[in-house]
Amino acid sequence: MRILIAGGGRTGATLARTLQAQRHEVWLVEHRPTVLAHLHRELPTELIYEGNPNDPRTLELARIADAQVLVASLSSDAENLSLCFVAREHFQVPRTIATINDPRFAWLFGPRFHVDVAVNQADILAGLIEQELSVGDMMTLLKLRKGSYSLVSETLPPAAPAVGRALRDLAFPRNAVVCAILRRSDVVIPRGDVRFEEGDEVLALVDEASAGELAALFGAGSAASPSRP
Amino acid sequence: MNVIVVGCGRVGAELAFLMSRRGHDVTVIDHVGSSFSHLDPDYRGRTIEAEPLAEGVLEKAGVREAQALASVTNSDAVNAVVAHVARNAYGVANVVARNYDPRWRVLHEAMGLLSVSSTAWGAQRTAELLERPRLRAVFSAGNGEVELYEVTVPDRWAGRTMADLVAGLACSVVSLTQAGRARLPEPAQVLGAGDIVHVAATHEGVSALDRRLGEA
Repeated sequence: MRILIAGGGRTGATLARTLQAQRHEVWLVEHRPTVLAHLHRELPTELIYEGNPNDPRTLELARIADAQVLVASLSSDAENLSLCFVAREHFQVPRTIATINDPRFAWLFGPRFHVDVAVNQADILAGLIEQELSVGDMMTLLKLRKGSYSLVSETLPPAAPAVGRALRDLAFPRNAVVCAILRRSDVVIPRGDVRFEEGDEVLALVDEASAGELAALFGAGSAASPSRP
Repeated sequence: MNVIVVGCGRVGAELAFLMSRRGHDVTVIDHVGSSFSHLDPDYRGRTIEAEPLAEGVLEKAGVREAQALASVTNSDAVNAVVAHVARNAYGVANVVARNYDPRWRVLHEAMGLLSVSSTAWGAQRTAELLERPRLRAVFSAGNGEVELYEVTVPDRWAGRTMADLVAGLACSVVSLTQAGRARLPEPAQVLGAGDIVHVAATHEGVSALDRRLGEA
């Protein structure tokens, strides 16, 4: 795929290297002199275009018309928005992706400025940190069908009722299924004879009504599952 | 008229005060509270300390009822985004964006915004005064691409015609004022010393006119 990245800060530069390693055709446009100095040490010179990405003339020189995707990863949200707008209005770029620096501006990232996909960095980071903090608490990884089903993850504390028991011996809620067990660096396929261990990270698919029951099996006891009698 | 001014630096404070003194209902927004110290003590409008692009801030400032909005921060991208949102999301009829860095002017043009460049305009006016003390710009169209100049006819041009003055130059004569009375110009009109001629001209046109006035 042919991808133009605007903004060579941490996000833009890392993305350029990653995509390049995956054999995508990537090039980058940047105008801040200090950032350019770093970039030239990290990427081949022919992939770096110097100039203000919000200037349509720069975009033209940076071959924006050849890009199938534009990634706007500038440090200013206003610049990301105006860039996506100009890219679509004037250069018909088929797909635009923009990073959101300040979550307060998230409401602007959408069709109004021709942003096809918005990546809210602060939200993602907060989610990851929350996940790391959540030993003994059930974490929602993904909501399916508008939230009626969720993919959840739970790290088993020593006191969890499931610890030491085999999957087939557990009184499992009807609308729940274990998808995988992450044990140290391995992934264990959940079959009936698998015994749970303390520290296992269990990934399960569960509906809203059964979430409490599931939390009771894999959680730390009363604190984690107030719904238990 | 309900007017919103975004940004309360030197330009924003001056604009907000000017509009409030002219009897408009003005709300000025700035994300730094200390910026409001730029406002004249007699400013009677509202101030809102908030990030103008955060959700709900423009609405709190009354954007739905505003007839006019000017975004005059020192970020061209912020001005472009505020102006675009005011016009397209809230339907504000009259929206002006300030162009801060002349190199960013093209962004405002690409987004189809009405923009005013105080930097470019100020520099251009000053340059004209330095170069051509004989010609006084009295009106600017657009961002100064065409300006209206006031020329006092020098002694050595007395007795020659209007046509002689501007023949072949990129300028058009707008009016001739003789003894305090203005009239539409006739090419055959004979000029007198001290007559005042108003001429619309581009930069090239006025430079040539200035040379001609100096030569004769």
